[in-house]
Amino acid sequence: MTKHKYLRKELLFLLSSSLLALFLLIGCQKQPDLLFGSTYTDVNTGANVVLVDTSTILMSTVLVDSTATSGTGYLMVGAYNDDYLGRVTTRAYMQVVPPSSLPTLDPRADNYDSIGMILFARTGNPYYGDTTVYQTYVVNQIDSLYQFGNNQFAWWSNRSQPLGPDLGSASVRIEPNRPSTGGISNTSQGTGDTVRIPMDPALGQQLYTMIYNKSDTITNNTIFQNWFHGLCLSSGPNIANLIYGFKDSAVMRIYYRENGVVSIGKYIDFALGNKSFQYNNLRPDYTGKPLNNIIRPTQNPQPPPATLSTAIGHVGYVQTIGGLNVKLTFPNISSIALRQDYIGLLRATLVVKPVPGSFSTIWRLPPQVGIYTTDQNNLLIAPVAALGTAGAQTGNLTLDYFHPLNTEYIYDVTNFVKFQLTNPSPIATQTGLMLTIPSPANTAAFNRLIIADQSYPIDQRITLNVYYISLYPHQ
Amino acid sequence: MKALILLSLLTVTSLGVMAQNNFSPYSQMGIGDVEDGFYNRTTGLGNTGIAYRSNRFLINNNPAAFSGLANQYFTMETGIRGSFIQYAGTPVTPASTQSGDITFRRLAMGIKAAKNWGTSIGLVPFSTQNYEFNVPYYVQGSSSEVANHYYQGHGSVNKAYWANAYEFFHHISLGVDAGYIFGQLNQKDILQNSNTGASETSTTNDVNLQNLYMTYGMQVYGNLGKHWSYIIGGTYSQRADLLASTTKQVLGSDSSILQNEQLSEGYLTLPNSYGAGISITHNDKYTWLADYRYQDWNSVQRKNSYPGQDYSIASSERGSFGFEISKKRNFYNSKVELSYFQTGVYYGNSYLQINGKQISDMGVTVGFGINSLKSPLAYSVVFQYGIKGTTNNNLIRENYANITFVINYGSIWYTKGKKFD
Repeated sequence: MTKHKYLRKELLFLLSSSLLALFLLIGCQKQPDLLFGSTYTDVNTGANVVLVDTSTILMSTVLVDSTATSGTGYLMVGAYNDDYLGRVTTRAYMQVVPPSSLPTLDPRADNYDSIGMILFARTGNPYYGDTTVYQTYVVNQIDSLYQFGNNQFAWWSNRSQPLGPDLGSASVRIEPNRPSTGGISNTSQGTGDTVRIPMDPALGQQLYTMIYNKSDTITNNTIFQNWFHGLCLSSGPNIANLIYGFKDSAVMRIYYRENGVVSIGKYIDFALGNKSFQYNNLRPDYTGKPLNNIIRPTQNPQPPPATLSTAIGHVGYVQTIGGLNVKLTFPNISSIALRQDYIGLLRATLVVKPVPGSFSTIWRLPPQVGIYTTDQNNLLIAPVAALGTAGAQTGNLTLDYFHPLNTEYIYDVTNFVKFQLTNPSPIATQTGLMLTIPSPANTAAFNRLIIADQSYPIDQRITLNVYYISLYPHQ
Repeated sequence: MKALILLSLLTVTSLGVMAQNNFSPYSQMGIGDVEDGFYNRTTGLGNTGIAYRSNRFLINNNPAAFSGLANQYFTMETGIRGSFIQYAGTPVTPASTQSGDITFRRLAMGIKAAKNWGTSIGLVPFSTQNYEFNVPYYVQGSSSEVANHYYQGHGSVNKAYWANAYEFFHHISLGVDAGYIFGQLNQKDILQNSNTGASETSTTNDVNLQNLYMTYGMQVYGNLGKHWSYIIGGTYSQRADLLASTTKQVLGSDSSILQNEQLSEGYLTLPNSYGAGISITHNDKYTWLADYRYQDWNSVQRKNSYPGQDYSIASSERGSFGFEISKKRNFYNSKVELSYFQTGVYYGNSYLQINGKQISDMGVTVGFGINSLKSPLAYSVVFQYGIKGTTNNNLIRENYANITFVINYGSIWYTKGKKFD
């Protein structure tokens, strides 16, 4: 028998070549797409996602006695009758100041002409209601000194001022979405985007004379305010079902003529001196509506009271400018985490559906509704951010007038639900979410949302969808 | 010493490449596709070799065959398989899809340790699992929202063995193959958001399997006159409970660990297996072989409670025939084989019965081998074409073509002059 010496060299060659071939060729593969196996797999061997959409939601409407409506930039004026809120009326209070530079008037050449209120109806101004009919706007002089009290830093929607007699009025129809450029007017007065309300000529003559005389009342603003007080712009007695917001660049204007070879029309403007002093006064009247049963604040200050939806027509009302916000609590939510198969929360969404028929192109929904955490004091604590983000949510409104049931606001409330599932606090059941209209619309827009509670059919009511990860216990 | 280090390295490395990469849709069930190939000299015979003996090649079809090795002869074999599969059936999309891979399949060494005692160690695949598929389900609690389950399964179960055979009376050989079965099956269920495709939760099951698996074999052989010889062989593999420990881990959408548990140990049971074969050889040149193998899965149905539905376990069987022409030349007083040609056919039913249909596997093989006279190497290449499964009953048919390379290294081991004969 021959004794070979091959072992070392040949073995090394064999092993190295085999390994090299393996590693070079192992990557040469392509995989098919097989739709196979669905009926051979037990879905319960792995974790699954389970949806719980039957969590009890207690919905309450929280009534705040007033909102800060000063300095919003708009003179909100008008009234409408709402199927849910009753009659809503608003008027605007403002102070005007004489111009800092007065013209020198010559009685031989200059003649007083008239006085009026000049309002601006710019495209994009807020409005709510039916804009197809004429609305009468009335100007009144405020009858008493109009100033802050002690520790008062803003004007609130529930504050009103005593009024003197009417100074003038005008009926106008405003087309709020029509551009007023290029000689096109969006008001029935045909004057571009300007609305003119003629005022009492006697007042105009008196002011003109004061200007001519350089009266202290005109040259000293404090004296002027003590004498003149201010103006109130309101709607007339006819119900036009419209609230419109004029720009706060409105002025009280005195017209006069400078006579010469050619007579020239001139004017002197009394503009809003302190725009943050201008405010809008709201006067809701729930009479005859279920909302009239709402619990009203009885003391000041006190936590705004909450009224369960069952007492006010099985709905919740969101119109923040009117002091109405909706609070949601979830008394049984912690039971989800006690389920045998619960191992973690995946996500939670809150679906808010407006009551079908409660909204239309006239009675528009708020395009944004914010969501905040709240507690037993019914105050806003912090905005609820979506999972993985830091920004506030506004509902991502899906609006469908043709299929109203598809209209909804959706919120990612994963962070909130995750906290509530294991919230050990004794007041956990009073901790909830508040739906409210975010700034700046909270003080300048009358769009309202009527939310169906859980007495409504499934496809119409508010729903909390909790998706949790489920794993059935294994033995 | 270097050779031993390299051998160890190869052994360890081979564990990592034994898992196949071709998708095998049926492998999601049980312990995956149970390997029925041997990747040795008998591969070209349709893996027919219970009654086959060789003085150079490692015939692990029957552990009794190792006593047939030449005295003082050390041999090592490795097998590599390239596989090309075409999938057909309604669950396949696009309608006809192919995939291919090349994988290491076997490493074995053997030596005639004593005059009548042959021994071998090796590493061979036992079963493989490789599947991926999507199943959309309604989210529990919803009749409209759908989540996609993306199932993945990868892994392999391998067998490291030490086989010994002893020859009695020049006509009987008894062998024992002591196998240690081990491996891991990694199964994933990824639940995806059907809109974004993002993972919402995933469940990973790492199933570790291990236990001893014994196979016994016997061969009886002799001559029938001047021109004919015969071999009759039988094998028996003892039922074994595979120890399975499963680590189940559930991750959330942010990859946080929601659950990590070690499930109570359970068993997957391998059944009793039987094999019988016969071969006859004419003039030491022409050999006809036949094998029949049977695995009694019916008897272990209750112990194998795999998750799933619409499928069951049934006893499997396999029959094969082979024919070989061996070209030999006389050198001095002994015959030396120069080359050989092989062909074989096989038909079998796997241990899976799906949708009431037992998965069948049939095919043909053609092989050719050369034994080098100038080096201690021998090479063989085997072409195999087969059909597995059916497109009936909404099942998948795999038309596969394999090419297998078997490389054999043989040498008279350094014996310091000591000889047994």
